[in-house]
Amino acid sequence: MNDALRKKLSSTFSDLQITAAGDGDTSITVPKGSLMSLLSFLKSQGYEHLGLISCVDWVEQKEFELIYIVSAYMSRDHEHGEQERSSIIVKTRISREEPRFLTVIPVYGNAEPYERELHELFGIHFEGHPRLIPLLLEREYPVPPFRKDFDTRKYVKEVFDSVPSLEDPEE
Amino acid sequence: MNTEKPAGQDRSARELEMYFGPQHLGMVGNFSITLNVEGDRIIKAAANPGYLHRGFEKLMELRTWIQNFPMVCRINVVEPDSMEMIYSMAVEKLAGIEVPERAHYVRSIYLELARVGSHLFGLWAYANMLGFDTVAQWAMYHRDLVLDLFEELTGGRVYHIYIWPGGVRRDFPEGFADKLVNTLHAIGGCVPDYDAAFFENRVFYERARGIGTVTREEAKEMGGTGQVLRATGMEYDIRKVQPYAAYDKVPWSVHTREDGDAYSRIWVVRDEMIESVHMIFKLLEAMPRGEVYNRIPNPFKWNIPPGEAYVRCESSRGELGLYLVSDGGDRPYRVHFRTPSYPHGLTVLEKALQDASIADVGNIMISLYVVAPEIDR
Repeated sequence: MNDALRKKLSSTFSDLQITAAGDGDTSITVPKGSLMSLLSFLKSQGYEHLGLISCVDWVEQKEFELIYIVSAYMSRDHEHGEQERSSIIVKTRISREEPRFLTVIPVYGNAEPYERELHELFGIHFEGHPRLIPLLLEREYPVPPFRKDFDTRKYVKEVFDSVPSLEDPEE
Repeated sequence: MNTEKPAGQDRSARELEMYFGPQHLGMVGNFSITLNVEGDRIIKAAANPGYLHRGFEKLMELRTWIQNFPMVCRINVVEPDSMEMIYSMAVEKLAGIEVPERAHYVRSIYLELARVGSHLFGLWAYANMLGFDTVAQWAMYHRDLVLDLFEELTGGRVYHIYIWPGGVRRDFPEGFADKLVNTLHAIGGCVPDYDAAFFENRVFYERARGIGTVTREEAKEMGGTGQVLRATGMEYDIRKVQPYAAYDKVPWSVHTREDGDAYSRIWVVRDEMIESVHMIFKLLEAMPRGEVYNRIPNPFKWNIPPGEAYVRCESSRGELGLYLVSDGGDRPYRVHFRTPSYPHGLTVLEKALQDASIADVGNIMISLYVVAPEIDR
């Protein structure tokens, strides 16, 4: 992100928190209400490439952190400055008790499978998503399995230990 | 039943749902597509991954930073090396570890060699699917020569775990550079044969031209990177956009084509392979002497300071990213890979299959270079 964009961002949005690491990476923390308008704004500024949508389960703070990573597509890379080359990490937090959020498909079309995955693995409902059906998993889980309170070892022991083995016919 | 319309006139009555894969001869990898077809035309395609979901990202939260390496490289079976690279880059960024100058060169050479091997494997898959069995066998043989080099360098043929936080595990052994050059010359000497038998063959042209066309705007909208984007004329390559390892130390160029179809994508792959070989020669010449490894703290008691990092590199399939979070502990708090096959195999594939013919499904899918384990992770 270059300085001009940083100035524009701080004048357009009042509730942003921009942190820049030494090597050019920028992360923007934003309240959930402003996320859609921020993403639309970044897209209009050339950040057309949505690299990833991720989620971090901060279980002690009872919050999910949604991560949107955007960067710029370059058709001739030498025409771009050093600061425009790195990605921007946009972060927002939503409640863990009631995990609902809006879909960003109207802004970034390729958000569709990422949101589907987060719906399946974290149980976050994205309103307006056209097909929130299972993507990767084959069975039902008591708790969405990528949440921190899902105990992988206990689940594996309970589910897969009970399969009768061939060597132990009495069980 | 609707009896008012004569048979065959009701569109929904002629529309069939068809499952393509995972047990289908035209399907490469554990992946399936649900096709809605009318005659031979595909009306709608829905990608259906999940046959290889191993939950690596969750399992990695239970293992220490170093213990994760054997899992990281199994995410992409065909090219595990860029996976090692991206994980090392993220750990180095979080922990603030420097890499010696020579290790950057060794990493670049190693990654380019892996790219050649991966592209040869992709060429095998594509040629095999089109019925060019001879070309497929050549490509497989040449990939085997590359694997021999990996075996000598790292001890493993497929999974190497050679790149490590702080550098690489060991320097090139005595005489390895000469062997590398000789092998690459042997493979490069066959390029005219490949061209005559495959790339400039009229049959390949007829089978691939205009198939699975993705325009530049569509590719950008759907998160396409790598060959998908370069086949539409964009010079988008992370090795140029955000150079890592030693990619900014030697001159090289990004190859593009204009049409965005399967033919252009495979030609981009061919040109890239040749560029990689030339790049290895340049890197070997420019490589400085010195250490290849900076010591890291005791991996059994290694806590990494809290923070987050997003790093990306260019794998043989496109932009590969990793979002890594540490909470200050001895294992990652959250790992999320952005693999290139994920958008290519889901959003781009569904778009490219629209209005295609059933006979071209395998053609389009392999030309998009989709590896199913990358989608599932």
